Amino acid sequence: MAGMLLSNAERFYIWDGVEENFRSDGRSNKDYRPMELETDVVSSASGSARLRLANTDVLVCVKTEIDTPKSDKPGLGSIEFFVDCSANATPEFEGRGGEQLANRISNLLQRAYHSSQAFNLKQLCIFEGKQCWKLYVDILILECGGNLCDAVSLAVKAALFNTRIPFVKAALMDGGNIDLQLSDDPFDSKRLEVGTAPLLVTLCRMDEENIVDPTAEEETCIAVSIVVGVSGNPALYTSSEDTTPSDHKCTTISMSGNGGILPDAMKIVIAEGITAAKCLDEALGRTLLQERNRTNLQKKDSYGFLK
Amino acid sequence: MPGPELLSSQGLRLDGRRPDELRRIRCKLGVFTQPDGSAYLEQGNTKVLAAVYGPHQAAKSKLSTEGVVVNCQYSMATFSTSERKNRPRGDRKSQEMSLHLRQALSAAIKTELYPRSQIDIYVEVLQADGGAYCASVNAATLALIDAGVPLKAYACACTSSVAWRGNHPEALLDVGHVEEAAGGVCLTVAALPSVDSIALLEMSHRLHMDYFEVVMSRAMQGCKDIEIILDKAVREHLAEGWTKPDVITI
Amino acid sequence: MSGHVSITLASERVNHSVAANNEIPRFFTPGEVVCDLHDFMRGHGTYVEDDKIKSSVAGVMQRVNKLICVHPLKSRYVGEIGDVVVGRVLEVQQKRWRIETNSRLDSILMLSAVNLPGGELRRRSAEDEMAMRQILEEGDLISAEVQSIYSDGSLALHTRSLKYGKLWQGVMVKVFPSLIARRKNHFHILPCGISVILGNNGFIWMGPQAQNLVSREKDDNLVSASENEDNYDCYKGLQTVTRSNREAIARLKNCIAALVASKMMLDVTTLIFAYEESFKYEEVKELLDPEAMLDVAFLTQHRLNTIMDE
Repeated sequence: MAGMLLSNAERFYIWDGVEENFRSDGRSNKDYRPMELETDVVSSASGSARLRLANTDVLVCVKTEIDTPKSDKPGLGSIEFFVDCSANATPEFEGRGGEQLANRISNLLQRAYHSSQAFNLKQLCIFEGKQCWKLYVDILILECGGNLCDAVSLAVKAALFNTRIPFVKAALMDGGNIDLQLSDDPFDSKRLEVGTAPLLVTLCRMDEENIVDPTAEEETCIAVSIVVGVSGNPALYTSSEDTTPSDHKCTTISMSGNGGILPDAMKIVIAEGITAAKCLDEALGRTLLQERNRTNLQKKDSYGFLK
Repeated sequence: MPGPELLSSQGLRLDGRRPDELRRIRCKLGVFTQPDGSAYLEQGNTKVLAAVYGPHQAAKSKLSTEGVVVNCQYSMATFSTSERKNRPRGDRKSQEMSLHLRQALSAAIKTELYPRSQIDIYVEVLQADGGAYCASVNAATLALIDAGVPLKAYACACTSSVAWRGNHPEALLDVGHVEEAAGGVCLTVAALPSVDSIALLEMSHRLHMDYFEVVMSRAMQGCKDIEIILDKAVREHLAEGWTKPDVITI
Repeated sequence: MSGHVSITLASERVNHSVAANNEIPRFFTPGEVVCDLHDFMRGHGTYVEDDKIKSSVAGVMQRVNKLICVHPLKSRYVGEIGDVVVGRVLEVQQKRWRIETNSRLDSILMLSAVNLPGGELRRRSAEDEMAMRQILEEGDLISAEVQSIYSDGSLALHTRSLKYGKLWQGVMVKVFPSLIARRKNHFHILPCGISVILGNNGFIWMGPQAQNLVSREKDDNLVSASENEDNYDCYKGLQTVTRSNREAIARLKNCIAALVASKMMLDVTTLIFAYEESFKYEEVKELLDPEAMLDVAFLTQHRLNTIMDE
């Protein structure tokens, strides 16, 4: 986050800490801060999730719309990301102040989800060449405490996991037009396959070390940061045994900052990104399944912002 | 009157409320750590987050020696309405709402205390199901209290409408989305109920002057009811977070 | 080499409130009548209307002789002369620095209110004005005392004592000012060898104790350094903080976070108690876990209660 001032002495303290693999809150360079997740928090959306990572707070909603597929991709639906940096997070985001950051994150997500191995758009097809689902993934950033990208990607995956798409009951052919009848029953719907959906891992390079999950203070001391998008393992997101696990693959890499990095170091960074993504993916899958099992047993109380 | 019947023969509304009944209000102060004050409020299915920054040094261009500059921004999440919005703010409606928020809240804040300062109030509507402006004012009041900003009194806002029972007008309190969409009068009042003063009043559609009094007094009554609910929430919040200045020294 | 990741569900969130054995006081909320105007004077957090003193904030009433104040649970820092504050330099201006102290207006540190290198009292020359950025630059942290309050409410600070001045390597955390207990002394050196400044404005500074001495010598070098390059080298020359000090600072930082989450008053006693209790958790990073935080706060409150009972 821009606008945060640190003295040089504080910076040296942070740099030295990274060198010692002991950061100012006691974490090692590869530790994440504890996170908290809740899905199904916004009733007006098809799927939603809220993730808090220390004091980074992200709310994600998925809305569905019926659309006509592009003529060159008749069998595919589409997914679109929109990030809004709320001024609640910091007064700097007032008006259009957060637009640049928002665009950066939404472009990153768009690229990470682009590959068919990351997110299968075929499942959004209703009627080949005629009609498909379009998913709007709206991300609202409510508080910034560092490491936005990772938090956003986790929340997006959780919201997609939570999304239900209504079944099509009947389709009436009327000339060239198709009139769809959708099921009104909210339980008569299908879930999306999101196991392979990518997660973003931000790695920050300080001297010779790479750190994950930087705090807002640490972010101001960084010359280069590399965001790695890594596809997930579907076996982690289902309780049934028959899903074939797939390897974690890199779906996007993006660099920002005004420093440079050696090619050899880049390889290490990417490898570390994939390892971190694996840990995140496992933890997220476990938590989401735990919540789903619990809601199957009893109706879930929504906590949202009230607790 | 055109449109669907807003009142059933038993005198109940479309969502089953009595005419003078508010939707359920639930709220919490201090939901975030970064802002000076924050609050979350839900009124039925309308859900709003408010954050307050300040009072802090005013930007040079805004600085006023008369009193504090109140800066408001009203923003609606793209997913807040059933039809997805394309952009969260900057459109004419949210700009108007920002101005209305500022008007209602400036009336409550003791602005003269803080010359050369500025208070930023940001409201984010997460779900809009009618009465989003009212919920915003109520949430912002809570956020201001959480930030410790001096207020003359609570600023509360409420809407009311009118329905017909035979030829007899019945005022409806706290209009929901369905009732809003059915058309008809919608009177929005932002008031400081404890000092009986109106900070903002707005009305859409047409209403015979003879019935204005009925609708108006119902909205005022709604503001008073809301004030009681907010006050209770504030006291609970205080009780939870209060630490008595200790007396021990070693 | 894989790191630690934990994601919990919101339904399992811990409630951070710690039961203290004090009864809940009478609360006042905005617009509520506190008392008649006749016998009393209005202070902070109140206003007069219809011959009544009314509360303008939500909090508890405090009466000092005839003066009635209502103190809110949290607010921006309201400075008083003599307070110790920790602040950050926002801007170097002519003959003065603008300092962020979490007040409603930025605070001012005049060039005439700092000790210049060399120590002797001398006139501030034009050269001193040119060299201001070498004394303090944007982003630097300082400890200072509130010298006076301007008519518009902004604070004038001074660092004209050896204990005040620029802060070097370490960590600053922000809490809300009402959590800092007012004490005679706000500078502490904890048994673990860490120096802590509990600023009245809610900014808490933690740094290694010995380093402050090193840095003071450096101060002179800094001013004599003419170019930025040298300036940088001077920072480089700073000793790196030892691992044990670093661990103590991190532990202390997490303890403060735990106490703040449970809204407990901070003074040197609570800090030492929390620090000692936190050793139940061997690794410092375990203290980031909400349950561990609550546990530390709870154990600290328990020890405070035992002392108060005695």
